[in-house]
Amino acid sequence: MCLNHNQTPNPSHFEDSDAANAPAHRDIAWNDYKDLIAGMRFFDPHIHMVSRTTDDYQAMYQAGIVALIEPAFWVGQPRTGLSSFKDYYSSLVGWERFRSSQFGIKHYCTMGLNSREANNEPLAEQVMEILPLYVYKEGVVGIGEIGFDDQTPAEEKYFRLQLELAKEAKLPVQIHTPHRDKKKGTERSMAIALEHGIDPSWVIVDHNNEETVKSVLDQGFWAAFTIYPFTKMGNERMVKVVEQYGPERIMVNSAADWGISDPLAIPKTAALMKMRGISTDTIVKVTYQNAIDAFGKSGQIDVNDFDQSANNDLTAKFHGNSILRGGQQPVANKNSLLIQ
Amino acid sequence: MSDFITKSIFEILSQYTTETELAWLEQKSQAESMEVMTAFVACPRFLSKKIIQPSSGDATRLHTELPGFSVQGWSLVRLARVWLLTQLDSSDKETYVNHINTLFDTAELNELVALYSALPLLSYSDQWLFRATDAVRSNMGFVFDAIALRNPYPEKYFSEAAWNQLVMKTIFNDKPVHLLEGLDNRANETLAFILSDFAHERWAAGRSVPAQVWRLVSPFLNETLVNDMRHLLESDVVDNQRAAALVCIASGYEPALKLIAQYPELKNQVSSGQITWADFETNDLNA
Repeated sequence: MCLNHNQTPNPSHFEDSDAANAPAHRDIAWNDYKDLIAGMRFFDPHIHMVSRTTDDYQAMYQAGIVALIEPAFWVGQPRTGLSSFKDYYSSLVGWERFRSSQFGIKHYCTMGLNSREANNEPLAEQVMEILPLYVYKEGVVGIGEIGFDDQTPAEEKYFRLQLELAKEAKLPVQIHTPHRDKKKGTERSMAIALEHGIDPSWVIVDHNNEETVKSVLDQGFWAAFTIYPFTKMGNERMVKVVEQYGPERIMVNSAADWGISDPLAIPKTAALMKMRGISTDTIVKVTYQNAIDAFGKSGQIDVNDFDQSANNDLTAKFHGNSILRGGQQPVANKNSLLIQ
Repeated sequence: MSDFITKSIFEILSQYTTETELAWLEQKSQAESMEVMTAFVACPRFLSKKIIQPSSGDATRLHTELPGFSVQGWSLVRLARVWLLTQLDSSDKETYVNHINTLFDTAELNELVALYSALPLLSYSDQWLFRATDAVRSNMGFVFDAIALRNPYPEKYFSEAAWNQLVMKTIFNDKPVHLLEGLDNRANETLAFILSDFAHERWAAGRSVPAQVWRLVSPFLNETLVNDMRHLLESDVVDNQRAAALVCIASGYEPALKLIAQYPELKNQVSSGQITWADFETNDLNA
């Protein structure tokens, strides 16, 4: 994992525009950090599991990730019709949630029209009509990820409409901040949220960096940091942010998706913090508790459910379909999710 | 749709909801369509987790207004969702049908269960026939149960072929056939022969057939089926023997009556009412 710099013309969450002088990110092998985080539980409040593999689920479970939030996003392939959106949204509360449960991880999601596809206005209009039917479904913990990409008028229009929907549905908002012109885009997103009368303690501003974090925290928003390997916000830098700002209203996520990303970003960052002597209390807040407090305002998160997912039954079925393929036998041992 | 039944449902709802919950439902039911639909989805966020056990008076009233309709064992959310669907404005057919179809297309499992449970109460009943037969093809256990069991829609609207498919699928899924509404009314010769063929396949594979399914063949006995009854009577399984005795006597078919005459004890037990089909009725949904 993390073999290359992420320099594709269409980055999934981050662009790598300048080569860092100091290492921003350090990859750590499982054997080198498993003891440091033994017994710890993690909550990844931003990860796109539809783009990930079973190996990831198994590694995440092994590393102590007990629950996650999958925000609705741009899946890479542009959607050409309303049905694709419907099926995608349905999969977030359906098949993917089930698949996650089969690996012992409690799956929540946020629902929204992402900024990139908000630019396809005729389609966006149709999506907005059915979106209310998804945001009230069980386990939907927020409206997200919404915000700006190119910062076009269409993006602003649908961002505002979805902020109103969040208010109406009494749901937290998960804001994606843009890759380009990030600082201005972040300020603009927050100003618009405040203009709509949304309490900043209900808003999670995502993909922060050292340049944006102060203003986000000062205005009372939650600041989420995405640990994307070899980008501006590597885990080494994350440790420094926590050293500087402390643990209040800060949370870490992986935003792992179809790009070069790391579903173990949170446990690795926790291990790195531990090595630097950051207190366990602080680590728990930024890798687990703060995300639960923020998204828990939806009333949809019950930490007692986390333990129940661990008692998963691999022979269970979703709509009659199992994750097991012909001839595969589930391993009954709860401590091992390996299917042999 | 009769106003009586929606009133009866609302009456039951009022017994299981707090003032706040009921006020929320009433307010939403009077809103414009999209808000009713959104409330349909949002029910679990506003209503508590309760199971409906209607009084015998309420149950009888529902059954009188819509024969076969039962809300026994439903969750409060399911009942509230069904009621909200009855409150959707149906004055414009195209709009109404579009709304219901949108709910189907965006539904998760529990919403699908509510939608299929509501089919006998929806306007433009024939519009939902494809959805209903599609639910029979579903591999989602709860969805199948919602259309198949204690639901009067299939009896009223399914073609004979669709009905027979429903019965066979129920047997395949090891669900109790007596929970199909209209089981006796919709019995037919084709189904009786399908059952016989099905039993032969199972027996050839060294497997069995649930004894209660034989209740479907009584009016249609022929030589083949009488041989099936003989096979049952000669089996070691008491339930099979009893089922065959019930079938033979109910059929009034001469060769069958001759056959059962060879088993005087069983014959007496049926004649004296010691054995009835009710003995075979289990409510195990094998979910």
